[in-house]
Amino acid sequence: MANVEFERVTKRFDGGGRAAVSDLSLDVADGELLVVLGPSGCGKTTALRMLAGLEEPDAGDIRIGGESVVGWEPKDRDIALVFQQYALYPHLSVRDNILYPLKVQRIGKTDRMERVRRVADLLGLGALLDRRPAQLSGGEQQRVALGRAIVRQPQAFLMDEPLSNLDAKLRTQTRTEIKGLQRQLGVTTFFVTHDQAEAMTLADRIAVMSAGELQQIGTPDQVYDHPANRFVAEFIGSPPMNLLPAERVGDAAIVAGGWRIPVPVGAASGASVTVGLRPEAIRLAETPAPDAQPAEVYLIEPLGSEVIVNVKLGDHLIRVRTKPEVRPEPGQTVYLAAEPGGVRLFDAATGEALLG
Amino acid sequence: MAVRAAPATAVDTRAVPAARTVARRRARPGVVEWVLVHLAFAIVLAFFLAPFLWMGLAAFDPQASAYIRIPERLTLDNFRVVFADYAFGTALKNSLIVSTATMALTVLTVSLAGYSLSRIAIKRKNWISYSILLLQTMPLSATMVPIYGLARELNLRNSYLGLILVHTAIELPFLTWMMKGFFDAVPRYLEEAAWIDGRSKLRAWFEVVLPVARPGIGVAAGLAFLSAWAEVLMVLILVNRDEYLTVPFAFYRAARGEGSYLEVRYELVAAMGVLYVLPVLALFFATRKLMVRGLMGTTRGL
Repeated sequence: MANVEFERVTKRFDGGGRAAVSDLSLDVADGELLVVLGPSGCGKTTALRMLAGLEEPDAGDIRIGGESVVGWEPKDRDIALVFQQYALYPHLSVRDNILYPLKVQRIGKTDRMERVRRVADLLGLGALLDRRPAQLSGGEQQRVALGRAIVRQPQAFLMDEPLSNLDAKLRTQTRTEIKGLQRQLGVTTFFVTHDQAEAMTLADRIAVMSAGELQQIGTPDQVYDHPANRFVAEFIGSPPMNLLPAERVGDAAIVAGGWRIPVPVGAASGASVTVGLRPEAIRLAETPAPDAQPAEVYLIEPLGSEVIVNVKLGDHLIRVRTKPEVRPEPGQTVYLAAEPGGVRLFDAATGEALLG
Repeated sequence: MAVRAAPATAVDTRAVPAARTVARRRARPGVVEWVLVHLAFAIVLAFFLAPFLWMGLAAFDPQASAYIRIPERLTLDNFRVVFADYAFGTALKNSLIVSTATMALTVLTVSLAGYSLSRIAIKRKNWISYSILLLQTMPLSATMVPIYGLARELNLRNSYLGLILVHTAIELPFLTWMMKGFFDAVPRYLEEAAWIDGRSKLRAWFEVVLPVARPGIGVAAGLAFLSAWAEVLMVLILVNRDEYLTVPFAFYRAARGEGSYLEVRYELVAAMGVLYVLPVLALFFATRKLMVRGLMGTTRGL
């Protein structure tokens, strides 16, 4: 097992244009599960493929266990990759699929069989060992792909959206299992996804990427509570953070409709800012209170354990997370107040967070 | 970035009502329609089966003619004569050696060349691809003289090697393209998985890509064998010694009779025909599943 480092890695595909990955630096600690999160085309899969040796970086260095692997063949990197499409060998049985990397490593037959048996037990694949991949369900194929990765005991696991071909229920279940397995095995893991909920639940740390650039890297709590910029603020969290254009007046920001929101002490900014408020950082009351901003309810989304109230304020729709028993009628006037600790400020021009 | 497939259900829901209306329209074809369709099939079938019927009957007929007739008595004598007087055993052996070797060499070459065209990023790849296809359009007879000259220079006349090389060369352009198509259908992530599992590129190709493209290999092998088995023009050019004659050439000599086309020994031609067709039929039935799957152009469901 080993740590993984990207140092100023850039990759441009033929035809030039925008770099697929631009000046990416990050590190994954030994045994850590790092989730690289971003929308389609943000460069996360390219980063993973460079780590796997399926693409070569144009500039920068990639190290596994402190050793530069740039220019190495994939076979020499001692990493395992779980593909989005699982990439099981269709002509081999489940057993032979899992055995394949061990055969390559010329591991003795008894040892080989023992390791396959352990992995099959771990993943509950015992009954499927003699089947062909085409005879398995998506979830089962996923397990076999995981098994083929685990059985090698590699330096690092690379996972390229491994859950995105599963249905929602199975995805949540497998997510938990992967996290459990990773904890149990303690293998350094580089996990790529576009699903922010997946990232939040799985990650030790999340690296958020957009347009080939690293936006922020931090623990799930850090990226959720203190997004580095508007992109991260909007990409993480469901529903996303409310972002409201505002005018800075003294120690408050005035948003549409004249709502006066006190800003964090010491936050320096110009006159125009963007105020960020998580849906749970807004208190909603059905009766007037001092300093509370009246607004009209547009619609409500009951989710069982909570209710998302969509409130109209000027041209903006603000989402507020409330307790399930709060059920205002559409058209009703409610009163909003910002939680003092939950107010975030972003530069209106650059979108960068203004730290308080 | 990963491109996610559109949900299949979107297609299914649209396809189902359409399929249903078609099925309803075709539910009860009229009697006339049924008769006409089957009549058309019967005519086409008769057209294609008649030569085989003639061959099957004439081969066992002591006095066959150019017309289909029921033999008055059955005999195996024709087969004996074919082997005893026309050295058909040698011709069969030669054809088998040349065709099998051509098949092996062709399969090896086109599976490597097709894979390269499918996967390797090189400049002007389209030009290379299309010029290979252009070669296929060249009439074989146009190459007769240069091939003769080349074979004489290289001492390849009257040799197995000469026949094998020329037959292989004939098959390469089309089968290279065909194999490129089969390799295009093999997902790249399969070989990438094998590389990451620790295999070199060549072994990953051999252990993962080739087995998945197996139907294509089957078709390429079948077509290469058949082509070499049936080829006569190049044999005429390259061979003038009896010990290297192949089956089609033996036909030619039997049909000519003794120096003239007037007294053709039809029963001998038919007997040769039966012996000529049998190995091909055997090959087809042995590999029919693979061939059908390959000709349908699918590598799925392996």
